[in-house]
Amino acid sequence: MPETAPLPLDPRAILLAASATGRDDAIGQCGQTLLDVGAVESSYIGAMLERERSISTYVGEGVAIPHGTLAAKDAVHHDAICVLRFPDGVDWDGERVTVCIGIAAKGDGHVRLLAELAQILMDPEQARALREATEVAEVVRLLQPNEEDEAQ
Amino acid sequence: MPERTVVIASSTGLHARPAKIFVQAAAKQGMPVRIRVGEGKPVPANSMLAVLALGATHGTEVTLDAEGPGADEALDSLADLLARDLDAEETPHG
Repeated sequence: MPETAPLPLDPRAILLAASATGRDDAIGQCGQTLLDVGAVESSYIGAMLERERSISTYVGEGVAIPHGTLAAKDAVHHDAICVLRFPDGVDWDGERVTVCIGIAAKGDGHVRLLAELAQILMDPEQARALREATEVAEVVRLLQPNEEDEAQ
Repeated sequence: MPERTVVIASSTGLHARPAKIFVQAAAKQGMPVRIRVGEGKPVPANSMLAVLALGATHGTEVTLDAEGPGADEALDSLADLLARDLDAEETPHG
C-alpha cells in the first residue's frame, strides 16, 4: 500500500462552478489553476494536453485526472492537485466528465496521488458527493478526510 | 486458480497510462481477471480506479489470477504487458 499523507490540495485550487467548451478547454483551465497556485510552470499546460492526446485520463465516475507527460516533470515546482467542477459536464471523448482533478507531481509522487484519489473515488457515494459538491469545504473534507479527523 | 506474479516494469509505475493500457487489455479477456499486491485483497483488473488504487510503482510485485477456459493464456498475455515498460513506448525519448 502507498504511504498515506494529505493530498496536496490548496483550497484556492478548487473551482466548483467552472464551464468549458470542451475537453482541451477544461484541461487548459486545470493547468491554469495549477499555475495560479505556483505548482507548475506554464509549459506544464501544454504537456497536459499532450498527455491527453496520447491516452485519455478519464477514470470513471464522471472524473478525469489530467496531468503532464514524463518529460514535463521539470516544469513542476511542487506536488499539487486542483479540483474543477463542471456542473454542465464536459464531453470527454464520448464520456461525460463533471469533475476534473488536475495533478502535478515531482518524481514518483503521482503514483501515490493517483492511488489516494482512486481509493476515494472507488466509493460510489464519495464520487457522487464530489460530483455534486457546491462548497469548497466539502471537497476538502472528501479529499483530505484524515486531516479533517486530526483537526477535530 | 491459475496465477501469475510479475514485477511492474513501467518506469513510473502502474499509473494513468500504463494502467489504462493494462485495464483495457484485461477487459478484453473472456473472463474476469483479478489483480493484487502481495497478500492484499484482489480487485477487478478491468477497473481503472481499482488498479490505480493499488498504488503499484516500478518494481512492485503484483499477482494476477483468473479462472476458466483460456485463463492461462489470458494471464500470460497480461503478465507480459506488465513486464514491459509501457511508458517507454509512449515517445521515442521516453
